[in-house]
Amino acid sequence: MPRRVRVLLSRFLEIAVVGITASLALLVVVGVISRKAGYSLVWYDEVAAILLAWLTFYGAALAALHRAHLGFPNLVRRAPLRVRRGFAVLREVAIIGFFALAAWMGFELLAVLGGTFLVSLPWLPARVVYSAIPVGAALFIVAEITAAIDAWQQERHAS
Amino acid sequence: MTVLWIVLGLLALVLADVPIAVALGLSAVVAMALETGLRDMPNVPLTLFDGAVKFSLIAVPLFILAGSIMNASGISRRLIALTSSLIGFVRGGLAMVTIGTSLFFAEISGSAVADVAALGSVLIPSMKRKGYTKEFAAAVTSSAATLAVIIPPSIPMILYAVMAGTSVVELFVAGIVPGVFGGLLLMGAAYRIAIRRGFPSDTAFQWARVKSAFREAAWALLLPVIILGGIFSGWVTATEGAGLAVVAAAAIGGLVYRELDWKRLRESTVEGSIQTAVVMLLVATSALLGEYLTAMQVPQKFAEQLLAFTDSQLAILALLNVFFLLIGLFLHSAAAIILVVPIVMPLVSQAGIDPVHFGLVVTLNLGIGQQTPPVASVLLTACSIAKAGIWDVSRVNVVFISVLLFVLLLVTYVPAIPMALVDLFYR
Repeated sequence: MPRRVRVLLSRFLEIAVVGITASLALLVVVGVISRKAGYSLVWYDEVAAILLAWLTFYGAALAALHRAHLGFPNLVRRAPLRVRRGFAVLREVAIIGFFALAAWMGFELLAVLGGTFLVSLPWLPARVVYSAIPVGAALFIVAEITAAIDAWQQERHAS
Repeated sequence: MTVLWIVLGLLALVLADVPIAVALGLSAVVAMALETGLRDMPNVPLTLFDGAVKFSLIAVPLFILAGSIMNASGISRRLIALTSSLIGFVRGGLAMVTIGTSLFFAEISGSAVADVAALGSVLIPSMKRKGYTKEFAAAVTSSAATLAVIIPPSIPMILYAVMAGTSVVELFVAGIVPGVFGGLLLMGAAYRIAIRRGFPSDTAFQWARVKSAFREAAWALLLPVIILGGIFSGWVTATEGAGLAVVAAAAIGGLVYRELDWKRLRESTVEGSIQTAVVMLLVATSALLGEYLTAMQVPQKFAEQLLAFTDSQLAILALLNVFFLLIGLFLHSAAAIILVVPIVMPLVSQAGIDPVHFGLVVTLNLGIGQQTPPVASVLLTACSIAKAGIWDVSRVNVVFISVLLFVLLLVTYVPAIPMALVDLFYR
């Protein structure tokens, strides 16, 4: 089951980040060309920055799946097995606790934002823009749990 | 007092192997809860989102993507062939080629790890085949890539510019002279080692080979002209220059060389997106803690305390250099810039230090930190390609690190070296 979740989540997040990065590159180029042609796009800066925020939160979930977030594992890695396991639990509680708060508050925010739209693109609901926070945080939690189970199984095999 | 507990809590979380981004966010949430109870919690997602919405930082994923396209389309290979035809005849030729290509590659990619991964995978095995020790091969590749972070464009410079609120273009220009000078010094050090250990030259110098390599790489040579020319002339911003880099690299790799490997490109785009997200999550969560520290006036109080101790620019630069070298041992350069730069900037400006000059000092200093274990992402990448032990490589790397420290001293105490071009063209 965790393996299947990992494959599906990884595939979804990879498609998402490649799509967002490609859109970002395309948008910046279109923005430059239109500005040089004398037709500046009023929504270009805002949409590009929003795409970067989406890349941040969906990419962060993918990074959690790959255990790629920056940290300082050197000290814990040298500790005896039991201490290491204790720190591993603390780590997971800290990560899941923080993103659970972000997801919860993020969904509350979406409820408050109902009926508001972007200034530069008045047809785009603010809820869609800010959805990256709660959705990204929820995906981060699933990715973290999946990666933690993998790491635990690997350690059990090794010991 | 609360601030001290928050800082200690942050340190404890980082030492307990909690990712730094999460440790920053959690410390900020606890600090907010202690100050105002649960009243400000609904602001957490808004601050996180606003922290990540930084137009100038769009250049980060785009420069990484440009580097990925270069690797997936044979551009790096052609640059290596050209540098080899030009300087490969010198004793220790492949080491010279590594340093020379690294500096050139840096003009397009902006990331030291990408630099090592792209060039090291070709040049480290070649060096080993020619009889160079694997430790030397890894050390020279790693150090050259670190120097490349001060050659424009540079992702740490973009991060610094956003965190310090200074001009990224001026920072890019400030890096040119120290970058080229440092490259020549590294080549000198590599040459001396090559003579002492009897490392061979690569190939004999032949005009015919230079001409053919130049013809092959001519389009690739246009890339830095387009990117840096556009940015320095003010025709495009750094972010837009990064967009141009992507298009130019894709056009040259896909249409001119017709070698774009889509599978490799997709994989390296995913890899690049992960790298971007890791840095950007740090930026977003540091915005949470930054809000709290600013409200508590921590950066201002830190500046006052240190200025009461000394107001000499030289002493403050020396203290900050030692501080950054120390944290460079334990933190990735992006994390160190995001965490520390906003706190020390009031001190830097009150001491009368130019923020662009200081930016170059920080970027080079933290680049050196990527050569010093335990946390040394650039060195680790080179070691993993060379299949060499990190401490064995570090012993050889002492010579190259000494060269980089000498360049750091020059950049710190002879501001004209980085700033002359900036003063000439932008002030």
